[in-house]
Amino acid sequence: MTEFKWVGKVVPRIDGVEKATGRLKYLTDIGLPGLLHGRILRSKYPHALIKRIDTSRAEALPGVVKVLTYKDVPGVNGFGIIIPDQPVFCRDKVRYVGDAVAGVVAENPVVAEEALELIAVEYEPLPVVDDPEAAMAEDAPRVHEKGNIHQEVHVRHGDVAAGFAEADLIVENVYHTSRQMHTFLETEGGLAFFDEEGILNVWVGSQYPQRDQLQLARILGLNPRKIRVVSSPTGGGFGGKDELTIQPQLAVMAYVTRRPVKMWLSREESVISGWKRHPMKLYYKTGFKKDGTLVANEIKIVADTGAYASLGGPVVSLAVESSCGPYRIPNTKIDGYCVYTNNGVAGAFRGFGVPQVTFAMESQMEIAREKLGLDPVTIRKKNLLQRGDVAPLGHTMTASVGILNTLERAEASALWQNREQLKAAVDKPWKKRGVGLAVALQGTGLGVGIPDYGAAIVELTEDGHFIVRVGSPEIGQGNLTAYAITAAEALGCDLGLVRVVSGDTKNSPDSGTSTASRSAYTGGNAILDAVAKLKPKLLAVAGQLLGRPPAELKLEGDRILAPATGRSLTLAELGRYLREKGLEYSARGNFVWPTADISIEGAEGLPHLIYTFITQVALVEVDTLTGKTQVLQTVTALDAGRVLNRQGLEGQAEGGAVMGAGYVLMEDTIIEKGYFKTTNLSTYIIPTSLDIPQAHEVELVEVLEETGPYGAKGAGEAVMVPIGPAIVSAIHDAVGVRLFEIPATAERVYHGLRGEKRD
Amino acid sequence: MNLVEVEFTLNGKKQKVTVPPRLTLLEVIREHLGLTGSKRGCGKGECGACTVLLDGQAVLACLTLISQVEGREVTTIEGLAKDGQLDPLQEAFVEEGAIQCGYCTPGMILSAKALLLKNPTPDEEEIKTAIAGNLCRCTGYVKIVKAVEKASRKMAEVAAHD
Repeated sequence: MTEFKWVGKVVPRIDGVEKATGRLKYLTDIGLPGLLHGRILRSKYPHALIKRIDTSRAEALPGVVKVLTYKDVPGVNGFGIIIPDQPVFCRDKVRYVGDAVAGVVAENPVVAEEALELIAVEYEPLPVVDDPEAAMAEDAPRVHEKGNIHQEVHVRHGDVAAGFAEADLIVENVYHTSRQMHTFLETEGGLAFFDEEGILNVWVGSQYPQRDQLQLARILGLNPRKIRVVSSPTGGGFGGKDELTIQPQLAVMAYVTRRPVKMWLSREESVISGWKRHPMKLYYKTGFKKDGTLVANEIKIVADTGAYASLGGPVVSLAVESSCGPYRIPNTKIDGYCVYTNNGVAGAFRGFGVPQVTFAMESQMEIAREKLGLDPVTIRKKNLLQRGDVAPLGHTMTASVGILNTLERAEASALWQNREQLKAAVDKPWKKRGVGLAVALQGTGLGVGIPDYGAAIVELTEDGHFIVRVGSPEIGQGNLTAYAITAAEALGCDLGLVRVVSGDTKNSPDSGTSTASRSAYTGGNAILDAVAKLKPKLLAVAGQLLGRPPAELKLEGDRILAPATGRSLTLAELGRYLREKGLEYSARGNFVWPTADISIEGAEGLPHLIYTFITQVALVEVDTLTGKTQVLQTVTALDAGRVLNRQGLEGQAEGGAVMGAGYVLMEDTIIEKGYFKTTNLSTYIIPTSLDIPQAHEVELVEVLEETGPYGAKGAGEAVMVPIGPAIVSAIHDAVGVRLFEIPATAERVYHGLRGEKRD
Repeated sequence: MNLVEVEFTLNGKKQKVTVPPRLTLLEVIREHLGLTGSKRGCGKGECGACTVLLDGQAVLACLTLISQVEGREVTTIEGLAKDGQLDPLQEAFVEEGAIQCGYCTPGMILSAKALLLKNPTPDEEEIKTAIAGNLCRCTGYVKIVKAVEKASRKMAEVAAHD
């Protein structure tokens, strides 16, 4: 067994003290002399033509510096990671109530607010497209001229008709999922300004500074080199800051006025304008043999992507990929549709389409296993993918596959073993307890066809520290600490000597986005490559100075030792020497993701090659008088490969389970006829400390992934995925109510208990 | 413009401000006094990120008008460490991994501080209740509760030693 100094050990996160003392400046905390304030006028209607925009009264208001419309966008008036279909400022049409119609830059926020009221916009309302399925009809009112189906993905593998013909049981159901909101605590905000070199700086928390830079360059008609994006630190992302948020309008404001401008959304504006998780309608027809063997799956997915594309296409692609769960199914027919509506905007969100389909697939498994009289563990073991199997998309699972290991670990947990006693230990006759279990896989990285690479620069400073630069931002997930651990382990130095710089186009190399559970794997591999190049150079020079062959030397703590002589050289001495002699003191490492052996035509990034695997178990208590469900205990058994940052990974697993429980029990951004009914944190409810389980066990199953840094792979998303269906199954186990729509609110469970369907 | 003069103690030091009366304590400490450790997550008393201590009680700075602090003692996250020594709560939050994105952390620590000032040895339920108004989206609260427990034990040990 390999002995590690830092990998897998409990170490405090490297930005912890700065955060605990309030010293860390988030980008919304920064002020500048002469700072102006920007505000955005959002659309009054979910769907309308713009007939006229009159800004004259707003411009005349004292304190207003500039009122902006589409006319002020210097370059392309559009953005979007895949296709730029979202206007910076709308010209002739609005497609959701968060659409930006105009902007105000003023001397202070109060004047900016007043000026918004003075902008006169004449609209011609259009029929609101609010049902994605109806929107697919050829004659439906169109959100975009090209039609409402933004993207469709089709998978045909094996022979689904033949599969159903040999099935002993066919389970057919329709599922609905909700519109979850990221609810990062720091709303979208930051500042933009020209620095003394004439570079436009845009400092807004986000998940991929280099891509922000490129998108802003198009909008401004500027060379990307004339723009610097700083995207860290960020008060939470979860996918909601992967696409641009306020950067387009903010950048135009600073560009046009040539003055520093700050913009920071109120919570209400954040709710209305920001990205959400795609609500999906999921049609499932699943065929089983008597012994539980899966033989066929026919699935249709209709996803509500709202007004603009953003990452809707890739989300639906990933939903398609994960729609069969981590199971071997020889015959599949899967159709995914990403549909435009006027229901806000949906985009990237932790899990990226997988929580929705996992809820449906795991519900199918539970319904089937009950009918077949099988145990939840047995039916899953029979079907779980193993390394070397052909997956339901038709590609071969050539990377590590630890799903069975996670299921076995969950099965061995005290919660699963003692479930009958735990269920019986209820103290009120109107309360019932149940236990549920669910499994999932989550593709990591961007998948086939999308460039997916990482880079790192590791530098020895003249004061004996190592600076590690990796672009993928810290958004709370702890990648700074994971990077420091990876670098310190490879170098051999003290962890405290490593400083990490991320999230800055000027000071950290492009290492891709902090999404897709990819940043620790990608950045970690790039760091290892950089260290592999740098360390021999350091040892060679140290060898000359210490008079010993480099192979004999050891980099340890803060120095390089020659054990044979007992002599040593400190890293600070070496760092200074390298500079004095004009020698290399840094190295750049690179990494490119391996990809699967096939590609799916028409999809975005399918299939994946490396997956996170997870089993989660939940014990719930349902109040039969109110329908309210409380989660009492959970178990997470996670295969994320080698554990790099133990405390960080546990924290992600705990937080993910609570976010997943929130998704399935209480969270939904309600939009009616295109208007938001949940606009703040007193109507959009997320779990508080009083909603969490009394016990949450995290079991880290380390099935090593050979291509990962020290065998690690990603973890950030899967941790919130199967907990949802595990809770839904636990509710069914407790009170016999099977929910086909989430969230499983008290109201839905209450009506279910009384045999009523109210949806 | 109509201005008010307000005098209060901020992190142990006398502070006088002359500002429009509509301003909240949060706006004054963040924008006029440059103490940005107190965060704005909603501005409406729904998230707890702006929690500060007012005479030792946890209050929401976004719902406190500046005139309400006249003559009173305000402690923000910047005032919690004493002589460069972190408060046991700050130490425990770092050690236990109770921090991820960190945006809820200052408010969370101050809600916990108010609890420990009044009840130095709270049980798990009392801790959960004390921080129920502080939303955290990253941690699932598990390590936060552990950190508060740890700080409470540490403070009890120190008290016993004195």
